[in-house]
Amino acid sequence: MILLFSMLTLFSIHSQKVTVRHAWLRPANKGMNSALYFEVRNNSEKPETLFNVTSNIAGMIQLHESYMEKGMMKMRMVPFIVIKPHSTFVFKEGSYHIMLILLKKDLKPGSKEIFFLHFKNENNLKVIAIVGKN
Amino acid sequence: MKYLFRFIIFITILFYGCSRRFPEKINIARNSFVLLNQDSSNVNFPFDYKGKILVATFIYTNCPDICPMTTYNMQQVQKKLEQKNINNVQFAAISFDPIRDTPSILKDYASIRGMNLNNFSFLTGNKKSIYSLIKNFNFLVLPGDTTQVGTNPVYFFTHADKIYLIDQQGRIRNEYRGSKLDKNKLLSDIKYLED
Ligand SMILES: [Cu+2]
Repeated sequence: MILLFSMLTLFSIHSQKVTVRHAWLRPANKGMNSALYFEVRNNSEKPETLFNVTSNIAGMIQLHESYMEKGMMKMRMVPFIVIKPHSTFVFKEGSYHIMLILLKKDLKPGSKEIFFLHFKNENNLKVIAIVGKN
Repeated sequence: MKYLFRFIIFITILFYGCSRRFPEKINIARNSFVLLNQDSSNVNFPFDYKGKILVATFIYTNCPDICPMTTYNMQQVQKKLEQKNINNVQFAAISFDPIRDTPSILKDYASIRGMNLNNFSFLTGNKKSIYSLIKNFNFLVLPGDTTQVGTNPVYFFTHADKIYLIDQQGRIRNEYRGSKLDKNKLLSDIKYLED
């Protein structure tokens, strides 16, 4: 019975249309800023749109992109991210990131924080991210 | 004649290669500035670093993505040098946001990252000194627009992405991409300056 139940659970994880892995964020002190990074996979036949991320650890959260222009590092807000069918979108350092502005607490390496990803089609997805070393 | 021509080209490439390794870019030791480190101690920059190899960068602690990458890259190089028992190298991360980056903010930034501050300093200072210093390095930085989050003003900077290698006489000898540092290149350049 337990085996059957665990198999069903396993099955349900794999059948999820959107999955997230390798979620981590930068260490930072209260009142400062941090960034959240992860890989989001769209297992469905249709494009999926990530349009918001929420959490109670920051005063403001935005989807951002770092980019270089004429030798200068710049950052801009992006309204949403489209994840193509059967593909993965990567939020990574020096590129797309979830910007966490005005942290309400210290983020110490090794600690974990909860985020919710808001999609256009799928249900909200709860993500647990670990604070990295840098 | 043909061979002579080839020989000249060969020699030119050889010399170009040598001089390219260490072009003396800028002598920053012409003026020194009194800055404050993370412990609020005075640091005469770059005068206090005379006789030492210095790896320096410009950051601001409200930077969420790029500056932490640069800081971490320098931290990795610092660890590598420690393993190799190379002791004559100092590291400095100078804030280009001195209004917000007080010594205590810099200290918190360093401690949450588990930085070894034995030969790594986070520096700030008065606006005038910092901006003069930035100008001496030819480092480019521009403040962005300020938005209000509740009662808090929030702003970011557009900035260059550089790490500088400064020799024992206070001359910039090479510069690197800070967030995407070629660590082996920096390490081999440090070794070259050591000898
Ligand atoms: Cu950002």
